[in-house]
Amino acid sequence: MTPVAAVDQTPDGDARQSPVARFRVTQDQRRVLYAIAAAIVLFAVGGLIRPGFASMESVEAVLTVACFVGIVAAGQTFVILIGGIDLSVPWTLNAGAILMMASAASSNGRMPLALALTLGMGAVVGLCNGVGIAIFGVPAVVMTLAMNGMLEGLTLGLSGGLTCPTCAAYAPSLLQAVAHGTIVGIPAILWLWIAIILIASFVLSFTTFGRGAYAIGNNARASLLAGVHVTRTTIVLYALSGAFSSLAGIMLLGFGGQASLGIGDPYLFQSIAAAVIGGVYIAGGRGHYIGAAAGAVSLVALVSVLMALNMPEYGRSITYGVIILLLLLLYGRESSEG
Amino acid sequence: MSDAAVAMRRSRWSHGLAQNVGFALALVLLVSSIVVYCAIYFIAQRRLPGGFEVTTTVNNTMPLVFAGVGQAIVVITRGIDLSIGGVIDLTNAIAALYLGDSLPSMVVCSLCVLLVGAACGLFNGLLIAYGRVQPILVTLATLAIFQGLAIRVLPSPGGQVPPEFTAMFANMNAPVSLIYILLLIGFWFCFRRTSLGVGLYAIGNDEQAAQAHAVNVIRTRIAAYVLGGVFAAIAGLFMAASATAGDATTGNGYTLRSIVAVVLGGVNLFGGRGSPIGAVVGAFVSAMIVNILFFAQIDPLYQSFFEGLFLVVAVLATGGIGRFMRARA
Repeated sequence: MTPVAAVDQTPDGDARQSPVARFRVTQDQRRVLYAIAAAIVLFAVGGLIRPGFASMESVEAVLTVACFVGIVAAGQTFVILIGGIDLSVPWTLNAGAILMMASAASSNGRMPLALALTLGMGAVVGLCNGVGIAIFGVPAVVMTLAMNGMLEGLTLGLSGGLTCPTCAAYAPSLLQAVAHGTIVGIPAILWLWIAIILIASFVLSFTTFGRGAYAIGNNARASLLAGVHVTRTTIVLYALSGAFSSLAGIMLLGFGGQASLGIGDPYLFQSIAAAVIGGVYIAGGRGHYIGAAAGAVSLVALVSVLMALNMPEYGRSITYGVIILLLLLLYGRESSEG
Repeated sequence: MSDAAVAMRRSRWSHGLAQNVGFALALVLLVSSIVVYCAIYFIAQRRLPGGFEVTTTVNNTMPLVFAGVGQAIVVITRGIDLSIGGVIDLTNAIAALYLGDSLPSMVVCSLCVLLVGAACGLFNGLLIAYGRVQPILVTLATLAIFQGLAIRVLPSPGGQVPPEFTAMFANMNAPVSLIYILLLIGFWFCFRRTSLGVGLYAIGNDEQAAQAHAVNVIRTRIAAYVLGGVFAAIAGLFMAASATAGDATTGNGYTLRSIVAVVLGGVNLFGGRGSPIGAVVGAFVSAMIVNILFFAQIDPLYQSFFEGLFLVVAVLATGGIGRFMRARA
């Protein structure tokens, strides 16, 4: 074999001669960059269509809406990384918003307790998912689908179809103030999201726990043999997903003032789409949360552009589907031998 | 008969049972849910359910039966079709808008509706087989497209279905629709022996091995999604017949409900095991659960709680008993 000096083997195995090998990014990183580029292009296109779309306030509004999708997508990314999926997002989110509203009963004093209760509820829901999947071997699709149904029934039943005495309450004024407030000119919920992005990326990339999650997604059996706590990691990640869904519910409640039935429904498909647009591989083991976050921004920017075009609902739905398909064909493809 | 022959026959029986344990359990589930339903009905009404109850249950379950069969065919190839709800929306809307009163018009229009379903499935299949994108993602995106098209066709609930069409597919007086289930079973028993039918199971079990045994993986996969689309279109026709009008959003729930029917029917979500007939049984099981909850006077608000709980318990039980049977066999 002749030695080839300039060939640089990337982890993905695509060997290629490159004079700028130093600046080379891996395929996974490239997908994150694509998602960020897509968001920027969408803002530019929006700005061309409607002057002011790319203005500071408008970008801020898009980012704020993207924040809800992004936080749900954090949990979704975690479970997709280990080869799972969380279909219980809609009603975990909805139950979270209603539980927060009903338990806080418009009072700021009861807010800490209500917060703990709601986040705890989300975590317990996720915990049950994780236990069913990791210990009892129920397929993730079935377990989380059933959990979504159970939560829907419990939420509707226990709140009497949102007619319970405290169901007419408003979000505590403090929560509303936080949701609408700004810190150093940037909305408070964006700060929260930035913090989540930093922490999630750090945990996934630089801790044993996070690397274990990638290992499980690539090969659960091999990682078990290599000493990864597969069961524990799986349960914790599902619990986190539940907690993130309920957190998004709390924030939506703070943002909108009141919870309603069905507010969680759009977030299932959007969270999966955001993760995939951001380069998270749906079969697990690859991807970064920062990509999913960029995916959430692209998705919301896309919807905003379509709305700026005054496109009717059906047109938005079709265009949305077509663009996601194009993105998938662009970089969601599997290698032909896989 | 010699002891050896008896032993062999018994082992073949238990082997067959172990191989089809999902389907056998689905049947057990169906029988026990019917028994429970009759008991609860008797307690509430002081008589056994009669022809009217059977007819309404059958008519209301037909769309789910066909949606479940479509989903099962795709799931057997280790895929999943989330766009089924969208195809039902679209075909239901088209049927309600264009079905005419005369027989030729009904036939032509129904065939066109089936073609639309096939086209939707073909679109999915081409993207999945040639585009090499994961089925769950492709069908998630096409779901949005088909739903959008459905709303474009029928912006608000309406349209009209001729009474003759309703009499044929959702007869109020007798459970005529059971004929279609018999036809379906007949179709499947012929189809699963064709090379295409065998290919579905082959690529669901091991795609590379199937390829090595000269199964055309790409064509088989596309065919699975086309069949899924056609069956979803049939579900849309049945829904139009029983509702006597169209609504471009009622199909949405069928994506998840078809998966529930498939799982209750003992079809393995990881492909290669189970049959669409199981999904038919699963569809009736989920219909019986709704009936039981209704006559047990459980607050309808709690309905999805019990459905979800039942799904988990059923899957756990199936898994546990299946492992036990296979360990014995």
